[in-house]
Amino acid sequence: MELQLGLALPTNNNFPVKGGLDLNINDFLCHPTISDGSSNKNKKRSFTQAFEPSNASAAVPRTLPWLLWNNQPNDDDEDDTKHSSRYTIMIKNEEDGLVGWPPIKSWKKETSFHIHGDGGGRRYRTVGINGGNSTFVKVKMEGVGIARKINLSQHQNFQTLLRTLMHMFDKCEIDSDNYKLTYQDREGDWLLAHDQDVPWRTFVRSVQRLKLLKRGD
Amino acid sequence: MGEDPSSSQMSEDDDRSPPLDPISSNKARNCSGSGCPSSSSSSSTDYIIPYPDQVLENVLENVLCFLTARQDRNAASLVCKSWYRAEALTRSELFIGNCYAVSPRRATDRFSRVRAVSIKGKPRFADFNLMPAHWGAHFGPWVSAMAKAYPWLEKVYLKRMSVTDDDLALLAESFPGFKELVLVCCDGFGTSGLAVVASKCRQLRVLDLIESEVIDDDVDWICCFPESQTCLESLMFDCVECHVNFEALERLVIRSPSLKKLRLNRYVSIGQLHHLMVRAPQLTHLGTGSFSSSEGNAQGDQELDCVSAFAACKSIVCLSGFKEIFVDQLPAIYPVCANLTNLNFSYANISAEQLKPVIRNCHKLQTFWVLDSVCDEGLKAVAATCKELRELRVFPVDPREDIEGPVSEIGFQAISEGCRKLQSILYFCQRMTNEAVKAMSRNCPDLVVFRLCIMGRHRPDHVTGESMDEGFGAIVMNCKKLTRLAVSGLLTDQAFSYIGQYGKLVRTLSVAFAGDSDMALQYVLEGCPKLQKLEIRDSPFGDSALRSGLHHYYNMRFLWMSSCLLTRQGCRDIARALPRLVVEVIKSDQQQVETGEYVDILYMYRSLDGQRDDIPKFVDIL
Repeated sequence: MELQLGLALPTNNNFPVKGGLDLNINDFLCHPTISDGSSNKNKKRSFTQAFEPSNASAAVPRTLPWLLWNNQPNDDDEDDTKHSSRYTIMIKNEEDGLVGWPPIKSWKKETSFHIHGDGGGRRYRTVGINGGNSTFVKVKMEGVGIARKINLSQHQNFQTLLRTLMHMFDKCEIDSDNYKLTYQDREGDWLLAHDQDVPWRTFVRSVQRLKLLKRGD
Repeated sequence: MGEDPSSSQMSEDDDRSPPLDPISSNKARNCSGSGCPSSSSSSSTDYIIPYPDQVLENVLENVLCFLTARQDRNAASLVCKSWYRAEALTRSELFIGNCYAVSPRRATDRFSRVRAVSIKGKPRFADFNLMPAHWGAHFGPWVSAMAKAYPWLEKVYLKRMSVTDDDLALLAESFPGFKELVLVCCDGFGTSGLAVVASKCRQLRVLDLIESEVIDDDVDWICCFPESQTCLESLMFDCVECHVNFEALERLVIRSPSLKKLRLNRYVSIGQLHHLMVRAPQLTHLGTGSFSSSEGNAQGDQELDCVSAFAACKSIVCLSGFKEIFVDQLPAIYPVCANLTNLNFSYANISAEQLKPVIRNCHKLQTFWVLDSVCDEGLKAVAATCKELRELRVFPVDPREDIEGPVSEIGFQAISEGCRKLQSILYFCQRMTNEAVKAMSRNCPDLVVFRLCIMGRHRPDHVTGESMDEGFGAIVMNCKKLTRLAVSGLLTDQAFSYIGQYGKLVRTLSVAFAGDSDMALQYVLEGCPKLQKLEIRDSPFGDSALRSGLHHYYNMRFLWMSSCLLTRQGCRDIARALPRLVVEVIKSDQQQVETGEYVDILYMYRSLDGQRDDIPKFVDIL
């Protein structure tokens, strides 16, 4: 039976789980048939079958995620340079890695070498130096000269968003009935920002900028 | 307890005079106020000089004007009370190394005629997300105090401070003669704040935004500069991630005849760059913006024009930008290479072959920042040509841990052999050998700053498999001028023993994932008398190591220790032993209920004014 010790980020894609190692490895080990077809064709026993033949559906202990069922029998051991480094925690994606290591400023990581971004709205994401995560979008109100910015990550629904926007533009809440909230999405189209038209999560992911229009237009 | 004499320590950075503890500096206060015998003429015993203090102080003030270095001024202020007063009246540049070490009130009370202020806030590890957001370092209280105390303020330099738009507005309104604003690694403000500064600071000569986060308020700040001719000499906004109104920018450049330094952001295309360069051939420092076409297609005649534009700018000595470089356009810069002293390619993902034709002309280059995409081969080319190189920084294109890196000990050693005058190096790599580091210690004896970051944690010598102790040991042994050191790779307590033994001038030390026991930290705290700034993360140092530095903490700017083995009680012991030390225990994860045995982050620093009054919820001061 072959096992591969996952001591480093994999350089070749041996793992049936797409996108690198998923920390929910317990699922994989317990239900090997869920992975891609190749493991089914292979006559070798799955990990759980080998180690816990009496109870194939037993939850695999937490320490075991470091071991992976590998269907390629011919892989060499880890090359020597890896042995001396302590194991690094397998990460789901790069951004979940160790905080602040290597010591490069986040803005340098994020803003450099990116492909020209989507033309449309300028959605300014502040991460890094602030430490937190915030998504600012510009808001304009019809009839008001100066635009504002609002941090969408501080809201969970359209009601609180609208209330905050009203305060921002010095309108009382009753006035909120006189305005409708519209947003521009990634394709550049202007749409209504309303529960009935778009789910909040979809809205947050696609909004580029906001505009408050007077009703009756 | 002496307030004034010891505060002169607060503003020291380079501590050239022996460290004075607060008690011994009281001696200065005991000097008689009626004129120090040593400074008045010896034949004065027979007649009474009316108001000897005044004469003395007038003379002193005229002499002290010539003292510019703050270390010299600090020393002068300790001679006696008279000198202290005279020095306080004549100090025009105020340096605050830690914004919480002294209150704005105390600083403005002592120094009444200040024209230029520098303030530093957050510790450096905050740059790497190790400090939770909203920790502090607010400019607000400082600008409020200065607005009242220094109406003639001309220059403000801030590093790692939180600055709001309101702060900038207050600054713009309070100082009619304001000339220079430099914000390095700051955040909390937006284009609205910039707009106020641009429009109200009519004497503005310098507006430099360096590595700062600027919020896009959708305000066209470039338009806000006065319509008449400006005094602008330096405008750096390469870190501002917002579109700028190019027409307004071009008009601004045209009406700024003194403009020498211009750094554009990545929203300025190469075509637009060309327009600007034609308008400002007198530029000495240029940040080229994106250095690519906005439409995505390279236009042939555009390239030709750029070459002539660069050829016309005969004074350019410092070149940066290249944020989205179109490598085909790179030959445009050839005309200026021979004069360059400073070249920043740290955003340019170019290969060795692309670098070579540029670098082979840069004989005068002293500062070079580059990406490791140029590989060892590119570094060899640098070593072959840049004999005057003083500072090299090699940044990783792909800052992950366990990958094959494009640069290694080979490029490193080549640099050491070619660039003998090297004073400062920052080198990110995946693999290194003790031999290469030792070679650099021998070849580059002038090194003042040595920062080696082997990105794989605990990684040993790539060839021998040994720890990196001997390499770093050689550096502290052979580089006798070394003041700043950052270590990495697999390191045992032995490395720190070397540092303690030989690193007698080391002022700043950065440690991550290193050491075996408390002894390592103890070696450093006991052995390095000049240590001012110590930042440590993820290393196995505990309370007894912390205690071993009690004799020294008052001489330091700060100590940062995160993810080490410090207990709350251990930190409390320090706080009790040293009342003038502010001991902050910071929770790194705000959601987490505190159950861990060890403290997340310890950040401690001396302060004349005790606890700050703006601590957020996740900070405890012991």
